[in-house]
Amino acid sequence: MTSVLIVDDELFIVELYRDILQLRGYKVMGTAFDGEEALKKYSSCSDKPDVIIMDHRMPIMNGVEATKEIMRMNPAQKVIFVSADVLVEKEARDAGAVDFLPKPFRMDDLIEKMEKVSNGH
Amino acid sequence: MTGKKAKQGRDDQFAFYMDLLGHDILNNNQAVLGYLELVLATPSVDKTVRKYAEKAFSHVRTSTMLVENVKRLMATRMADPDSLRPFDVMKTLQMSEKDLSRFFPDKRIRVKLNHMPKEIMVIGNSAAEDLVLNVLVNAVRLDAAEDIELAVKVAGTEFRGRDCWKLTVEDTSAVLPPSLKDKDIKYVYLMDSSVAVKLSGLLFAKMISEMLGGDFDAYELPGKGDRPGAGFALTLRRAGRP
Repeated sequence: MTSVLIVDDELFIVELYRDILQLRGYKVMGTAFDGEEALKKYSSCSDKPDVIIMDHRMPIMNGVEATKEIMRMNPAQKVIFVSADVLVEKEARDAGAVDFLPKPFRMDDLIEKMEKVSNGH
Repeated sequence: MTGKKAKQGRDDQFAFYMDLLGHDILNNNQAVLGYLELVLATPSVDKTVRKYAEKAFSHVRTSTMLVENVKRLMATRMADPDSLRPFDVMKTLQMSEKDLSRFFPDKRIRVKLNHMPKEIMVIGNSAAEDLVLNVLVNAVRLDAAEDIELAVKVAGTEFRGRDCWKLTVEDTSAVLPPSLKDKDIKYVYLMDSSVAVKLSGLLFAKMISEMLGGDFDAYELPGKGDRPGAGFALTLRRAGRP
């Protein structure tokens, strides 16, 4: 079962992703509301998530910074970046994100990208 | 502080606030779209409820596009005209049928691209992409039919002494708002806001096209009867030309 860490500062968005991903058979292994919390959770877990869904505009530490730190810890980590800031796509990819989805997106598109990423494409 | 600097400061604050508002609305739209998708994916949902959900889905998509239009207007208004870069809108057109079907899941939309060049390079960064998509969305919104065919043509033209591409989109079942009949879109500025609000999509296309050094107009097709159809002509500066 593909495991996921969800990082977004909006509770209702985290709940939405969790509801849909669990329905589609993914294991939501954790959630974080800012980049710093994501780093703490990521470094403390022994089994790393297969995929991280990362928002950008968050307090304390944004998604690009958090992605850079995570990639330093584990360059093989798969991060799918999701943001309403389309202009941040290049920065996100440069930081190491494997894919980018501009908000709002269709959940089917997220699932499609999750499947691609978890199958190693 | 000089008056110019003070104005710049106010503009920056305004742009910042608009950006925050836009971001919040898009996040909320994300949640609505996501849960509507869940409703649509539930096998026990009957046909009527499914149709209602599809309509709601389409309206949230429109709301998203309106927010993106506001963001685009702000960004284009504040951009240095010299910073505008070439963009190939042919790619936008090739993807448009898929994009429109996502915006309007309750309609069947075909985009016919007739005798198109390999690429249509225009000046305008991704604002040009938004603009082309906006024109197509306008056509669909003005068409009550469930089956819609948009015929797209492109030709070289000259506008204000500059080489341009003229893109025309024609829809034989679209209907222009009566308030716009025989009038240039620029007259929307003179209309009562309760009437003008119905034309905001067309006005957006007009404003952005002018900001990019081009033009936009909507016209009735030369047919007969109550529903002659509508055409939309978008002129954009050709990249790499004087």
